[in-house]
Amino acid sequence: MKKMLFVVMAVLLAFSPLFAAGQQEQAAGPVTLNVLFYSPELAEQYNDMVAAYKAETGVTLDITVLQTDYRSVLTSRLNSGDVPDIFMSSAYADNSTYKDYVYDLTNEDFIKKIEPSALQGVTVDGKVLGYPFLVQSHSFIYNKKVFADNGITTLPKTLADFEAVSKKLQANGVQPFATGFKEFWVLPQTAWQAIANVPAENYGGYENFVAKLNAGELKFKDIPQMSQVFDLLDLIKKYGGPKPNESDFNDQTSSLATGKVAMIHQGNWAEDSIRKTNPEVEIGFLVGPTGNNAATAGIMFDSNQTIRIAKDGKNLDAALDWLRWLTTSEYGRNWIPGKVKQLSPIIGAAAPDSQIAKETSALLASGTPGYPWFYQMFPTGTEQQLGAILQGYCAGITNRAQTLDALDSAYAKIAKAAQ
Amino acid sequence: MESMTPLKRKQWDRALTFALFTLPALAAILISVEIPFLMSVFSSFTKWNGLDRAQTFIGLENYKELFLDDLDMWKAFGFTLRLTLGSVLVVNLCALLLAVLLDSDIRGKNALRAAFYVPNIVSLIIIGYIWRFIFSAGFESFFQTTGMDFFMFSWLGDVNLVYFSVLMVSVWHSLGFYLVIYIAGLQTVPRDLIEASMIDGAGRVVRFFRITLPLIMSAITVSVFHSLSNGLKAFDVIFSLTNGGPGNSTTTIALDIYRTAFVINRFGYGTAKSVVLFLMILILSIFQVRLFKSREVEV
Repeated sequence: MKKMLFVVMAVLLAFSPLFAAGQQEQAAGPVTLNVLFYSPELAEQYNDMVAAYKAETGVTLDITVLQTDYRSVLTSRLNSGDVPDIFMSSAYADNSTYKDYVYDLTNEDFIKKIEPSALQGVTVDGKVLGYPFLVQSHSFIYNKKVFADNGITTLPKTLADFEAVSKKLQANGVQPFATGFKEFWVLPQTAWQAIANVPAENYGGYENFVAKLNAGELKFKDIPQMSQVFDLLDLIKKYGGPKPNESDFNDQTSSLATGKVAMIHQGNWAEDSIRKTNPEVEIGFLVGPTGNNAATAGIMFDSNQTIRIAKDGKNLDAALDWLRWLTTSEYGRNWIPGKVKQLSPIIGAAAPDSQIAKETSALLASGTPGYPWFYQMFPTGTEQQLGAILQGYCAGITNRAQTLDALDSAYAKIAKAAQ
Repeated sequence: MESMTPLKRKQWDRALTFALFTLPALAAILISVEIPFLMSVFSSFTKWNGLDRAQTFIGLENYKELFLDDLDMWKAFGFTLRLTLGSVLVVNLCALLLAVLLDSDIRGKNALRAAFYVPNIVSLIIIGYIWRFIFSAGFESFFQTTGMDFFMFSWLGDVNLVYFSVLMVSVWHSLGFYLVIYIAGLQTVPRDLIEASMIDGAGRVVRFFRITLPLIMSAITVSVFHSLSNGLKAFDVIFSLTNGGPGNSTTTIALDIYRTAFVINRFGYGTAKSVVLFLMILILSIFQVRLFKSREVEV
């Protein structure tokens, strides 16, 4: 026994200089930034950027990319003290969620190179708490060939237009929509777009609208336009194939790419998956109907995905240097439009080679309304909870009145807890 | 030490050795299970979003909300109970029946035992995704070749069907595990008792219910206990197969807790729910084990 112990100790002793040397090297060597990101569909582009940064500066970005459990992993890492130097979150409500951890970027030189409109979602009391890294849009995406083959030349704008188009497609044996109802985030995106004009028109702007909801002064059941939401969901469900509640993101993108369906409610991030399934596909962007008023039908256009810098990290300066590089270097400026192929919020950035991004710019230039993602101002957690309730409506568990009550009570609880 | 008799000394040594050997395990369990558990009991009395550096002590508020004002949680509770009841019954009956079959002299029983055990090796998360694919794309192809309406039912999207889909997948996954326990139980039944009963003229059915079943009661206790607590804790299969949907119709307590803590960022409230779940499992398990233990017989 003693002999054994002696051997173990001896072996440990023999290796200890090795361990010590290893540690020393790490401390003196180049900086490694610890990064936690979501959007695994961009993994290739992330890695390309990491390689480029390493080649130019010698700094390594140790990057972890997650999707469904991103929030829970981030939460547990933050409260266990294992704070990543750089991480991602949504804009708006997440500003206060992560307030104890993020660095105030207001006075950084590179922030002035970002479009002021893109900074709205990350600014709280004049402080810029995050770095908006791309501009995204969501609405209905359609397959141009399917529309042309079925003789649809006027693009739909109102609920009645969408119904007419769907009827025509269905009569020709084409499934109009792939619903995406199985994804809890597709439902709120589809739903809130149907009343995107309402907060500004009837409730004194988005911030006021959300403040009233948070204070309990306004209930969803008191908003008459909520019927537009239900009408739209009913329409998509009716023309959404035999299993509307089982359609997920993959089903949406592959069905649209192959021409099995004509329309999906998705965002520009879906383009990559669609074109991977069918590189020849031609897709376009439709406005989302806000009831039967064609003038207010628009697209949801915002800079929501936000990069946050941890304020207490020991690599704070290195993390800021990386953001500066991302904003000002030649590679950095071209990364979003050239590699990620989405719209960049950097002033004067190139236009991306993306059908949806081009259509987005064209729609906005022609005067189509581009609404902010105001539902991201709702307290953190409402997206999933309200999504599940809307999913229940689509599955026929609750009727309209019950759904509105459920939305109100879920919202009130989360708003109360967030105070 | 001087005054100890050799016997006492031996006993003392034995106790010391025992303590020394269990100490590492005890320390590990304390650090990784018991202390975090006590910390979460503390958290359940606070309002905390899991991120802020300060936790606000709010006494019994969380428990008050849980029992008086949380319909969703009780719906999840109801579904969990239904799922648990279903899976305890189905998995144990199927496993017992299969065990009897595979313990007899049928051809290829080793291959069959392995085949039933294989799903148990694969992670439930993966199983969930595989079945999600089978239910959607797989069933659609089946429908196209067979034309049977059965395959066109919305197995994961219809509120009335989704319970059976979830039950089927979880039973399919765990069957092998219980099969092994029951086969092991069957093999401990002494041959002489069986032979004696045959000489006394007992038929197959009587033999099974009067001799075999009482003798494998300990295996049944273990299996029912295991399936009961697993059913109440069901999470991964739901997470990957339905994600609680459609609506919240397949949300289990464990998924509800996960969402409360990590999605809505209500850590304090989430831990309160998990304390209640813990107590529930504890009480039900004690009750079940007592009941079943009293029916066990020793040879």
